[in-house]
Amino acid sequence: MKTIIYTCPYVPAEWIAANGLRASRLLLDHAESASALARTEGVCPFVRSFIGEVMNNTHAAGVVVTTICDQMRRAFDILVRKCELPSFLMNVPNTWQILESQKLYIEELKRLSRFLTGLGGKSPSNDSLAKLMLEYDTARASILSARDYLSAGRYAKAIAAIGRDGPDKTFDYDTAAEPVIGGVRLAMIGGPLMKQDFALFDMIEQSGGRIVLDASETGERGLCARFDRRRLRDDPVMELADAYFSGIQDASRRPNSELYKWFKGELTSRKVQGIIFRRYLWCDMWHAELSRLKDFSDLPVLDIDTAGDNNIEQQRTLNRIRAFLEMLQ
Amino acid sequence: VSNIPKRITLEEWDLRYEQLEKAGIYQPYYGGPLSRHVEDGDQRLLKLSYDNSAAALRLWNFLLTEEDRLHEARAAGKNIVGTMKDLGTVPVMAYCFENIVAFYPDGAWWIPCVMELGAGLLEIADSLGIDESFCPVRAMLGAFVTGAHFPIPDMLLCSVGATCDDFSAIAQRLNGLGHTIFWWEIPHRRKPDSNEATVNLPGGFSAPKSQVEFVKSQLVRIKAALEELAVEKIDERKLSAGIKKANQVRRCLSELRQLAFTAELCPMPALEMLIAEMLAIHFCSDRQETINVLKELLDEVTFRVRTGKGILDADAARIFWVNPVADLQVMNLLEDCGGRICGTEYLFTHALDIIPEDLPPLEALAQMALADPMAGSSIDRAERICADIRRFGAEAALISRIPGASHCGLEGRVISEIVRERFDIPVLEIEVPPVTDSMRPTVRTRLEALVETVKARPRAK
Repeated sequence: MKTIIYTCPYVPAEWIAANGLRASRLLLDHAESASALARTEGVCPFVRSFIGEVMNNTHAAGVVVTTICDQMRRAFDILVRKCELPSFLMNVPNTWQILESQKLYIEELKRLSRFLTGLGGKSPSNDSLAKLMLEYDTARASILSARDYLSAGRYAKAIAAIGRDGPDKTFDYDTAAEPVIGGVRLAMIGGPLMKQDFALFDMIEQSGGRIVLDASETGERGLCARFDRRRLRDDPVMELADAYFSGIQDASRRPNSELYKWFKGELTSRKVQGIIFRRYLWCDMWHAELSRLKDFSDLPVLDIDTAGDNNIEQQRTLNRIRAFLEMLQ
Repeated sequence: VSNIPKRITLEEWDLRYEQLEKAGIYQPYYGGPLSRHVEDGDQRLLKLSYDNSAAALRLWNFLLTEEDRLHEARAAGKNIVGTMKDLGTVPVMAYCFENIVAFYPDGAWWIPCVMELGAGLLEIADSLGIDESFCPVRAMLGAFVTGAHFPIPDMLLCSVGATCDDFSAIAQRLNGLGHTIFWWEIPHRRKPDSNEATVNLPGGFSAPKSQVEFVKSQLVRIKAALEELAVEKIDERKLSAGIKKANQVRRCLSELRQLAFTAELCPMPALEMLIAEMLAIHFCSDRQETINVLKELLDEVTFRVRTGKGILDADAARIFWVNPVADLQVMNLLEDCGGRICGTEYLFTHALDIIPEDLPPLEALAQMALADPMAGSSIDRAERICADIRRFGAEAALISRIPGASHCGLEGRVISEIVRERFDIPVLEIEVPPVTDSMRPTVRTRLEALVETVKARPRAK
């Protein structure tokens, strides 16, 4: 089956699958960041890695990019010029409070479907879409329910795996018989993580903390809302659009007040004691939220920025995390 | 009074002002010697070179008194609307209302330059977490906090969607500080699919009809919001009249650019031309006076071209300039290095294109908004730049990077590659911070290298 690659959480994997193609959400590698662009001043390391990974990818049949980030929008221009892989730029509106924005999102899904059909896919029927939505929903629910029984790293990897591999691979992580407890309860918020960043979870645990809320883009925050079973039967496209477009809260939303509402609720319910703010250098969307987050929350916030060079940054990051946790313990 | 065109210093302008005043030149209500603006803290003015015409004097005075006009408008009971980011579309609508004055708070990005960082706006932005990794437009945040550079608007409108992340993020930060913002969306302009209804936009781009309809729906929302603020309904007749007025400005600028960029001798310095173009986006808070100022400038340029007079040597290298500069002095520097401007793309070419007058007004404005070069791909933008390089006969392209701007990291690469593919001309990228003093030798060296490269090549007939 042909594979369609993407990174943005607003691209519904179910939709690609219902079009008869395999959806694979990329988990990027820092190592790709230097491979594609000769001059990279001012370019976010995640975008650099994305360009590198797509240009070197020999397995995918197409790539979907979205407009929620300006640099990704520009990355699409690079791909169009430099890469033979068919690419699709999906307009995901920043505004969300008006009906026109939701309609635009649905129109973009339909346009994506035409792109996928051109790559050998087929127009989805409501029945097949509903069936796939149920499969994905069930798989996501099983991961979410295992949250308290997995280490934070394994939980994050499980979420990433469903995006990369789809729901058909059984969720086979060994879960502890008893809930995982202990450690300073932390939330991590920010953009998407890359492969090497999953070491952060272990680093935090070894330093006496535990991520109880992964609000990164690759974590729980990037998962769509649970589907309503009745609406799923009646109008699956509408339900899909609603769960993704209205269900995922992001810094790029205008206004992004819902992100803070969601985050506040989760911080309270999970009894979070501190926040790790993870951002990429040159990512304006998240960087601008750092001060606002500090104003918003009474909890201590640790800023972990990265320019994309893990080798250089690892020790600095570890030291900062240790110091942060020492203060919280 | 000598009327030989030349570039002069601010000090020389004082002397010339006295001469012109004695000669009885017309002085508008905001007229006066240029040097008085230094007392307001505009220290950069002391280091700039200016055109010595009465038309340029009027242009500068008009620009530098905008803050006074905004305060006067507020005192007169008018509603002040801050339009952000779309650069040129919403003000056309806003100025159709009797009691609305619209301006771009985005323009605060030049305050750190003009006041040589003396206003402390960037430090305030720093303190709000918007540091130097963001575009200099972060100065806008400081201006809102101090309230010292423009009256805080009664309403803020901000376009998002296909915009730079810097501005969107900074506007969200502003919103987080308690300023209510009316957000509206311009989607990324895409090429229509083969079976889609297509609209050819002003300026040469095209878009699917569905996208024009979407933007029109956004403008309907804005119109309703402005009507509520102004307690005034505007009908199609008033909107059409507003579009015609805006087109007067645009036609004037079109003639001005054509003459200035193609004349054998450069008739008007780059800095004055930049300011003239800027007037198109919100009319410097006085639409009719913008038309008057530009007409006088056009008359001056027409006269100079007709009489074969210019402010630079005939062999000045003909440079196409991409992106506005955060430090105005760099426009002088190009001319000091032996270059001249022959074509510009300052991110708002859509504000210079004629708005269709034969369409329903909101549809025409929707087309304008979508024609924004930043709303589409860098490839589209590069194509338009290439068309203008050809039109104005530029011999080199200079891409001026805006420090920290989200679009500059990747688009400069696309634009320079496409320009090189189309033309056998040199392309150079420089980065221009709000005050270039510390890196002036570097910028100068790069500009000199570009000019020398151009001059070493045989000039096209």
